Amino acid sequence: MSDLSRRDFLKLTTTTLLTISGALGVGALFRFLDYQTEPPAKTEFDLGPAANYPIGSRSLVPDVPAFLIHSQNGFSALSLVCTHLGCTVEQKGGEFACPCHGSLYNADGKVLRGPAQKPLRALRVEVNSNGNLILHTD
Amino acid sequence: MKRLIALGSAILLFAIVAAWWTNSRQPKPIVLIPTLTGKPEYCLTCHSGLREISPSHPIKTFGCVICHGGEALALDKNLAHSTLRGGANPSDLSVVQENCGGSNCHSGTAADNNDHIQRVMKSVQSTYAGAIANILYTFGVEPDLTARFGIHAVTDDVITTTTGVPALQVFDPTKQTNPSVLKFAANCLNCHINAQPLPGSQFDRLTGCAACHTPLPNLGEGQGVRGQIHELTTAIPYTQCNTCHNRGNYDLRTMSFIQRTDQPTTRLQDYYQPIAQFTKCEYTLDCIDCHTRAEAMGDGDIHSSMKDIQYIQCQTCHGTPTQLPQTKTLTNPNDIAFRLAQLNPVVDLKLGDTILVTSKGEPLWNTRVLPDGTYQLVGKATGQVFTFRPVIGSGCTQNGLDQSSAYCHTCHSVQR
Repeated sequence: MSDLSRRDFLKLTTTTLLTISGALGVGALFRFLDYQTEPPAKTEFDLGPAANYPIGSRSLVPDVPAFLIHSQNGFSALSLVCTHLGCTVEQKGGEFACPCHGSLYNADGKVLRGPAQKPLRALRVEVNSNGNLILHTD
Repeated sequence: MKRLIALGSAILLFAIVAAWWTNSRQPKPIVLIPTLTGKPEYCLTCHSGLREISPSHPIKTFGCVICHGGEALALDKNLAHSTLRGGANPSDLSVVQENCGGSNCHSGTAADNNDHIQRVMKSVQSTYAGAIANILYTFGVEPDLTARFGIHAVTDDVITTTTGVPALQVFDPTKQTNPSVLKFAANCLNCHINAQPLPGSQFDRLTGCAACHTPLPNLGEGQGVRGQIHELTTAIPYTQCNTCHNRGNYDLRTMSFIQRTDQPTTRLQDYYQPIAQFTKCEYTLDCIDCHTRAEAMGDGDIHSSMKDIQYIQCQTCHGTPTQLPQTKTLTNPNDIAFRLAQLNPVVDLKLGDTILVTSKGEPLWNTRVLPDGTYQLVGKATGQVFTFRPVIGSGCTQNGLDQSSAYCHTCHSVQR
């Protein structure tokens, strides 16, 4: 300790400070450039084995939210996001009703009553190589 | 030079550590990504306890920022609130277009029945044109009762009624010289929804849309400022209307507001001022059970007086000795009646139901014609069910042409 001259001590301190702040600076820069407030919204949903949805089934998928239909023609799905302002429509009898402003859609998503003007959006459904149903919202 | 670099490094290191320390003290944000905007908001980090403002504005769909403004990602209170539009009341008329407007929201078209903002900006509730016109005429400043001035300037390109006027200029008291008009300007420009309320808990209300649609907790007389609750409703009780109405009168001699001095303890006493004449149904129902959205929010025209827009009479629901009230069977699923009933679901309105309508065709959607020819009304604010009969067959001897409320009150007024 006594061998360390004042000059060497200052040099060592300078180098240490430079190294630490340089590393932190680079780290901070990467974090800044890579910063995302939130990850992008999920657009792909694995609904599990397709066999869980027999022909004739009509299933609510609340996480999406969507309504999955398995008919003789295959799988199809309707988004349950109201095309007026984006509220989640609710199943009411065989129809879909928006609790926010009263839009009403039939079982195929066609508008029966406004204020919505457009039908419920059809979503893409496919079966992957594992036999699972994948629902796409993009 | 080396010393400078070392000093700079030390400062940078300190700054980074300080930033990390500050950041570590911030609350962990609660993230909301509203369906409508798709943009993250951190408002719920502090405001998670707030009630949903209304079933028509679910937070999951709207979020906070689209209606209130503010810095969506700020976790510091002052920064987060620095860009709020309208403070705690985004419906104040100075900011209502930015906060509540939009073609899909409240500044759409008359055809879609969502032109609320345009109508309110022209209504006597916000222009105060009727009171101003009356005073200017009374004191000889203007030659007639036609409105020329309002609290704010407004124009109307499409006049649809016989009493509509094309434009109002801003009422500027500095251009007046008549002492009474100047007193009016100083003392009486409080009764419109742009103005802050008079002092006193009985006058507590908000401005803009919230003046009517945000109910205040009823703490009773002398309990101080009631505060504000995060709610928008179309089930508006009479007490909300009475924060402006029936709280006193303007004295034209002194040009000042004289508060009512009685201390009502019952609904019967509270509803109207002691001098008023009214029937039982007028105080058992709430104001909005009879008075329509066009009367309250305007019909899209600029009018010179409240009497140009207020048109509901007893005969609207009861008819006359020679005529039944007007009715309508709902056959169109897009009838405005369904939307109004959906917003305040005190009745389950269905296609095929027959309801009463006003002389201007506005649906009284909370009424129904019953199979026996009588009528039913469900209170919009109370949910109470009332049944009533038409005048025909009642033995009323009133001349069919004299069926305004004043004539009905001659026989049917309540004694207090």
